[in-house]
Amino acid sequence: MPGLHKLRLPFVKADYTYKAKMIFQLVRSFHTSLSFRAAESSLLAKLRKKTGYTIANCKKALEMHNNDTDKAEAWLNDQAQAMGWAKATKLAGRKALQGLVAVKFDKNHGVLVELNCETDFVAKNEKFHKMVEDATSACYKFAHTNLQSKGAVTKMELDSEQLGNLSIDGKKLSEVLALFIGSVGENAVLRRAECWKANSNDVKISAYTHPAPSVASDYSAGKYGALLAYKQANDIEDRGRQLCQHIVGCSPLKIGDKDNDKPATNLDDEVCLIFQEYLLDPSYTVQEFLEENKMEVIDYIRFSCGESEETSLPGVEKQPLDTVQTLQ
Amino acid sequence: MNGRYLISSLICSVSRKLVSKPTRITCHRLLVNVINVNIRDYSTQKNLVVEEKKHCNVGTIGHVDHGKTTLTAAITKVLSKEGTTKYIPYDKIDKAPEEKARGITINAAHVGYSTKNRHYAHTDCPGHADYIRNMISGTSQMDAAILVVAATDGPMPQTREHLLLAKQVGVQYILVFINKVDLVDEEVLDLVEIEMRDMLTDFGYDGNNIPIIKGSALKALNDDPSDIGVPSINHLLDSLDNHVPTIVRDLESPFLMPIDKAFTVPGRGTVVVGTIKRGVMKKNDEAHLMGFGIKVKTTLSDMQIFRSSVLEAIAGDNVGVLLRSIKLRSVESGMLLCAAGSEEMSNHFKAKIYFLARSEGGRKKPVFSKYSQQMFSGTWNIACRIDLEPTIEMLMPGDHAEVYLTLLEGMVMTTGQPFTIRENNVTVATGIVTETLKTIDVPNGKLGRVELNLSKE
Repeated sequence: MPGLHKLRLPFVKADYTYKAKMIFQLVRSFHTSLSFRAAESSLLAKLRKKTGYTIANCKKALEMHNNDTDKAEAWLNDQAQAMGWAKATKLAGRKALQGLVAVKFDKNHGVLVELNCETDFVAKNEKFHKMVEDATSACYKFAHTNLQSKGAVTKMELDSEQLGNLSIDGKKLSEVLALFIGSVGENAVLRRAECWKANSNDVKISAYTHPAPSVASDYSAGKYGALLAYKQANDIEDRGRQLCQHIVGCSPLKIGDKDNDKPATNLDDEVCLIFQEYLLDPSYTVQEFLEENKMEVIDYIRFSCGESEETSLPGVEKQPLDTVQTLQ
Repeated sequence: MNGRYLISSLICSVSRKLVSKPTRITCHRLLVNVINVNIRDYSTQKNLVVEEKKHCNVGTIGHVDHGKTTLTAAITKVLSKEGTTKYIPYDKIDKAPEEKARGITINAAHVGYSTKNRHYAHTDCPGHADYIRNMISGTSQMDAAILVVAATDGPMPQTREHLLLAKQVGVQYILVFINKVDLVDEEVLDLVEIEMRDMLTDFGYDGNNIPIIKGSALKALNDDPSDIGVPSINHLLDSLDNHVPTIVRDLESPFLMPIDKAFTVPGRGTVVVGTIKRGVMKKNDEAHLMGFGIKVKTTLSDMQIFRSSVLEAIAGDNVGVLLRSIKLRSVESGMLLCAAGSEEMSNHFKAKIYFLARSEGGRKKPVFSKYSQQMFSGTWNIACRIDLEPTIEMLMPGDHAEVYLTLLEGMVMTTGQPFTIRENNVTVATGIVTETLKTIDVPNGKLGRVELNLSKE
């Protein structure tokens, strides 16, 4: 009988009346000897330090397995997924507009991923960084294996659900996310991703995030991100990264066409990429910069963290993954 | 002058005592005040300051579900019974109402309450960036923080980030409130406490001596009289009162006075006018007049408050000072008068800065190193160049960062001094000085040519 109470106690929520709880506690303390408590307490501290699961869950695990830490740990790991899902379901729908935008790219492939959470405290936590990195790696792998080669650049836009279906280390991203939500206790959303693949040798892909990492690498994460596909002769210094930085900084709405688009009267309001002042040297326009470096922009995309609204479109059927490839 | 202070202090204490209950004790105090004439005390207003109900800024930080808002509501409810505070129910504490300070949008909930000893302004922001903006825009420097942890969850992964924030915004005093203790038992509670103390120590706080209060904000809100109900809130407030020392007006430091204006009194000399920021000025004290690259030694020949000569003036006084052998030409508003040798001029500072987002009227494009614009602070303005840390490539509008400031000429700026950067008469950035660095050379008065050796610093 007391064992049963002990099992349930840590999870007693507000639906128990205060009085009932007092009685439970009384019964409990009556049956728990002091020495037993001390041992249990240090085990609890150890288990929690090792696993990082919430105190209530660690305690439950110990109680279920008669203070056998190994069994308790195994049980916790088993349960984590289920608890994570439960928590994720409970928290779903809460606004999550903070987070990170991450990029990973090589010469022919590039992905841009946005992961959101509720507060920027969580966005700074290393677990969140790990989660973003996992999601980005999954997309990167997807870009390598699943994109069909047609046209110059194959592009594919993934929404929250499609992203969740990708997998990393044999685990679905949505499961990894649920685990993460279970551990930080805050809603998180795999918002969107963009996977690109360049199909010919003269098309290159570059990417940039702000804030930029101090050492340039193929993976980075920040508040803003941009992905760029461009053509540039190999004998000229690569300017892809700089142009990405310009896109992040000046947020153009479209590339623009020299013949059909007209430059805006006020330079600061310019939305066409080619007519904008080049960010790193305002004495050039982007057009002049491109000509100077013999570059041709094929396409670009820019993510700003939290910019997309959480709108679900009821009635719109999700298309299966392999039919939504767009070609350029 | 002493007479003036004596009378004014008497009036002050009488009126203050009359507001509260006029008991025999206060009458007795009054008598003592009259008899025990300690001129020095009155001339510096020292005891007046101590008797004032002091103000203190606190903030709550913690996980979204751990009960920060419930705790705030509970505090106001408990104190409202003492009649000093208005009770603000849970749903009236807006989760994050937007407020504008200097054009910057800050998501913050501000709630005020008073204990017997102090008045508190309570801030709660939803995110890290909001606290930083709150600090930089200077609306309130947080003196203390209450870290709220739910006993059911214990410290979460992001609790480290919460403590990091407290360090970043310069919170010196931390208290921990372990919430929801009714849902767990003793041993769990002990574990939460141990983990919290460990973590606090990791972050350089005095983990062993930081007050940790255990209670249930919800129970306190429902007027529960048990230990974890209302008494736990009282315990928290007592700890706040005792653990966080009162910040008193600084009269010990060497004096410092920014100059608002200057004029000539025919036959006497140059008079500068301003409000003393800290310290005590005495007639015939040696002083330095500094700013805009000029540093002149002088003596305070005479001081006037409200047109009557005084021998002493203290922090908070608005005073006119006659300076010996100073020509009006050499004084500019924005200069500083300070005790001889107490301050150094520099043109190079480290600062925390926030660039206003586009929606707040800030810049549209990012900022790079060598960004030069007019800087405004106090009563003066000067050309200023901003350089970013070498690891940061650019700053987007809406970003905050530590930057290096280089002014065209040397000025005195104290740590915590706020400033703004304006571009075409529009405020684009605001910041506070965090450190004074060594003066660097500005070749031919051209900021663009300044060589910064940032990797070395």
